[in-house]
Formats: sequence, structure tokens, C-alpha cells
Amino acid sequence: MEIRPILSALMRSKVSLVLIGLQIALTLAIVCNSLFIISERAALMQRPSGINEADTFTVSSIGFGEGFDDARTFAEDLAMMRSLPGVVDATTINAIPMSNGGWSEGLSLTQEQKTSTAPTAIYFVDDHGLNTLGAQLIAGRDFRPDEVSERNRTTQGWPAGVIMSRALGEKLWPGQAALGKQVYLDTEKPPVTIIGVVDRLQSPWPHSKRLAEFSILVPQQLVGDGRMRYLVRTAPGQRDALMKQIEAKLGEINHSRIVREARSIERIRGEGYSQDRAMMIILTIVIAALLIITALGIVGMASFWVTQRTKQIGTRRALGATRGMILRYFLTENFVITTLGLAIGAAMAYGFNVWLIQNYEAARLPWYYVPAGCVALWILGQLAVLGPARRASRVPPAMATRSV
Amino acid sequence: MLKMNHLSKVYRTHLIETHALRDFSIHVREGEFVAVTGPSGSGKTTFLNIAGLLEEFTGGEFLLDGIDVRGMNDDARSRLRNEKIGFIFQGFNLIPDLNLFDNVDVPLRYRGFNAAERKRRIEESLARVGLSARVKHFPSELSGGQQQRVAIARALAGSPKILLADEPTGNLDTQMARGVMQLLEDLHAEGATIIMVTHDPELAARAQRNVHVIDGQVVDIQSEPRMRGLGVVQSAVAVG
Repeated sequence: MEIRPILSALMRSKVSLVLIGLQIALTLAIVCNSLFIISERAALMQRPSGINEADTFTVSSIGFGEGFDDARTFAEDLAMMRSLPGVVDATTINAIPMSNGGWSEGLSLTQEQKTSTAPTAIYFVDDHGLNTLGAQLIAGRDFRPDEVSERNRTTQGWPAGVIMSRALGEKLWPGQAALGKQVYLDTEKPPVTIIGVVDRLQSPWPHSKRLAEFSILVPQQLVGDGRMRYLVRTAPGQRDALMKQIEAKLGEINHSRIVREARSIERIRGEGYSQDRAMMIILTIVIAALLIITALGIVGMASFWVTQRTKQIGTRRALGATRGMILRYFLTENFVITTLGLAIGAAMAYGFNVWLIQNYEAARLPWYYVPAGCVALWILGQLAVLGPARRASRVPPAMATRSV
Repeated sequence: MLKMNHLSKVYRTHLIETHALRDFSIHVREGEFVAVTGPSGSGKTTFLNIAGLLEEFTGGEFLLDGIDVRGMNDDARSRLRNEKIGFIFQGFNLIPDLNLFDNVDVPLRYRGFNAAERKRRIEESLARVGLSARVKHFPSELSGGQQQRVAIARALAGSPKILLADEPTGNLDTQMARGVMQLLEDLHAEGATIIMVTHDPELAARAQRNVHVIDGQVVDIQSEPRMRGLGVVQSAVAVG
């Protein structure tokens, strides 16, 4: 290997070396962190919500008429929806997973606590809530109809029993079963008992790290302000037709309200993660652009050096270098330059990640990103230089005696 | 050492055929110092390129150290060139980004010598040309004469069978040219086989044998005894 003389020669072309080395270093730093951000966003977007997304939709309305009776309207609406062919179940609900809007509370294990042990999202549902959501009950039981109460603005209390997500239970009582345990939603009120545990139930805030899968189902219907939201689960393949049908029928049942457009959970998921998707697209474009620019930079630099050193290459050939040796020389030279750039780039990648951690609550870059990035850029560098290197290998040895 | 019989070299384009060498025959024996002279465009450089395996020939026979080079592939030619031939170029052809040590090292690396063997050869050859103290210098830090000495050291380092010099003093002033020529003569005196292409009759006169080329053909051979400095040469029968 000719690494030492190559390095020695490169040290005499410091400007070129620094420019291309920095370009490679920056590319590594940005590509590694961008890929990590993309993978994190992808993981976030792929996180299961714990509910049946394919066959469910939500529809809401706001009553405006004087004497608008929330409780009666709830009953009429639900009866209508549940009676429609193709509807598996329907429930009242105050918020939808991943919709970016909902109700949260702090949970305390003791009444004396000044600060809560864990936050949680609150889903107010009726006794059809669990079935409509399609959440998997892994311990305990569902709500009974007699456990469902009304909750209006003046109601301060909580029902006796709630259903909790497994993740929240593990946070509150690590290593213990949550079923049967008691927790305070309000330390000035009696505690609630965990009567059921669901495997997974995502909160309405898809980007919240604290609340990610910390959720509680509470058997209450929110009344008193004319606002009503329903979650409807249909038989497979009937969702879209029933969305239109139910939207129309709600208006027919009670004219003193505005019915809002029904939205599928798939659409809500799409909207909830739209910024992540946009971020992923932008970062992918940035990565692609950087890699292309770096590759072109290497091609340009190598082409320039081949042209500049045509006579020198001819001399090397005259002195006994085979075509393969000339090809290897340029590949090795690129490997050395790339390695120098990557050494700086590795430090920059970790430094950039620390900066993101400190300023944007980013996660720590897994160790394998930088080595993987180095391998990718080594390969990219070798592929980029292959063309100019092959051109160099075709320089005839007779070039040594030409007066160019 | 070097034997060409009825050699021809034709450059072809889609419009024209140029006969650079035709029916070219020469025999250089081991230990000879031969000067190849001729006007510009006579075929001197083509002869040198073919003798140095830098170019292929079109027809005829060429034996280098007893090896028939006809039909040899590029890699085999490169290896043979590296092993048998030392080049001294008019423009020195040193690699500007490498110091003297690394410049002399270039053909030795291609030969595949180990580091210790290379170091020994580099030091010996640089000592032979009087540049031992400047191994870390770069070519730009040397005079033209010194650069040509480095090129000679590079040519000698691989212990070649034959030295091919292309106008070795062409880019040097008189004093430096004299020093380089003296070095070549010393090498010849030590047994080196040298073929020197030159258009300078005074320089050619210092060689053991002169071969005059015109229009790609050997037209005259003048041979020793060498009358250095007297400018007297004897004619001999051209070898066809």
C-alpha cells in the first residue's frame, strides 16, 4: 500500500485536501444525524395506537339550540348508530388518539404527594368504549352500563373504577400488576381503582414523550356544553359508506346542532404525523443532495487531479506501474482523503448530536450510526472516484516522453 | 541485450498512415553506450518508446534481454519494463509532491521489494549520484542538474539491465549537462548498458557508438574507439 507517500503528497495540496475533507466531514455529520432523526420519526409514526384504526371513525357535533339536551341527544344518536347495519359499536368519547387535542391529568400514588407520579391522558367513554376502540383488554374487565355516569362542568369527582394502559401501570407500579391498585386523579378526592388493563392505548398527543402511551379510560359522558363526539367502529370495508350515512343521520335526528365532518382514524393518524412526514421528506432530500454533491465533489477533484497529473501518471506507468496499480493508487488516495474527512466528521456527528440533545431534546445518536455512515461514505467515495481512476489507468506509458 | 530486426511502427488514423519506423534494425550488446541521433521527426523518440516498452510496434522482431516482447500484454510489459529498464527523461519526470526518497522509491514499490530492501537501494542509488544528504528535499528545492541526478538514481535503483536516456541534458545548462554526462559515462564505465537519444552531435560523440536515424530508418552507425573531446569518429557499416 502506498498510504505514506500518498499522505505525504496530499499534505502538499492542503487546500484541496481540507476542502474535500470538510465536505466529507460535514456530509457524515449531517447524514448520520438526519438519518437518526428520520428513523426516530419513522418509529414514532409506526408506533401502534392500540386501537382498531382501519374500521373506526369519529364524528362530532355542537348543539346551539336553547334547551339543547345533551343526555337525550347522546342516547338518541348512539341508539341510531348502533342500530345501523355494518356498525360494530359506537361510544361517546372526548378525544381521539393521535388527534393532538385531549384531556390530561397527573396521577398520584398517595394523597400527600405534592407532585404527581405520572401524567396520563383521559378518555371519557361509555360501556361501549373498549369494544369500539378495539383495545385489547389483558387484565380485569370492561365497564358495566351501571358504572357510566354523566360529567358536567360542575362535577368534580371521578368514578370508582377506571381502565388503564399497561405502560402507565408499569410506570406507576414497576414489576407489579396494576389491576386492583388504587391511584389518585385528584388528591383531594377518593382514589380510583384499576378494574381493567389494556395492552396499549396511545394518548392524543403523538409527539409527547411523557404521555406517549399513558392513558386511562374513564366511564363518564361529558355533558352540559352541547359538544358531543362519537367514535364508531364498523365492519371491515364499510367505514367510508357509514361515515357519510351517520353524518347525514345525525343532522336529521336533531336540527339544533352543527354536525362536523366525520373523519377516519387513519386520516387523523395522517394529520397527526404530517409534520413528521414532511420532516422526513425534507431530510431525505437534504441527505440525497448532500451525498450527490459530495460524490460530484470527489469526481470533480479526482478528475482535476487526473488531468493535472497526466504526465506523472505516464511516468509512473513508464516506471513499471500496471493499469491496476494506477487504478489502486487513485482509489487508495480517495480512501485516505475520505478517511481523514470521516475522522473529523465522526467527531462533528457526535458534537452535532450533543447540540441537538441540549437544544431540542433529541435522543442520543446510537453508536452504530457513525461507523455505518463511514462505511457508506467510503463506498460512495470509491464509486465516485472509480471513473476518474479508470481514466487515469488508461493513460499510456508513452505519455512520459511526450512534451505536454 | 536489445535486438530489433526489421521493426516497423505505423501510426494510423482514419485519414492517414504514418510510418514512424520502417525496417528498423539495431543490436545493442551488454555494456554498450549507444547514442541514437537524428533530426526532429526522424523516429528517435518512437524508437526509444518501443525500446522502453512504452509503445507497441507494428511489425518485425524485438528481443529485450533475450525475451521476445511481441504480443505481450500490458501488465507483462509493465513488469518487464520495471525489471529491465531504467528511464532518464529529458524533463526529469520527478513527482513534485514526493521527496527524493519517495521519488526513487516509486519503481521499487512497483517491483514489490520489501521496505528494508527498498531503503537500502534508495540510499545506495542516491549516494551513487551524490545526493545522500538531501533525501527529504523535494524536487523543487533542487537545481536542474540535481533533479536529473535524482532521476538517474531512480533509474539505477532497480538494477535495470539497460538505461534509456531521452535527451538527458536537454533541459540543462552546459555545466550541469557536463556533470550529468560525466555521471552517465561513469555508469557505463562500471558496466551499465546505455542507450541515449540526443540531437546533440557533441554529446553523441561521447558515446561508444552512434546510430543515426532518418525517416524511421537507421542510416548510419559510427562506432568506437570513442574519441572523447576530439570530435573524431569512424564510420562503420550500417547494420540492416
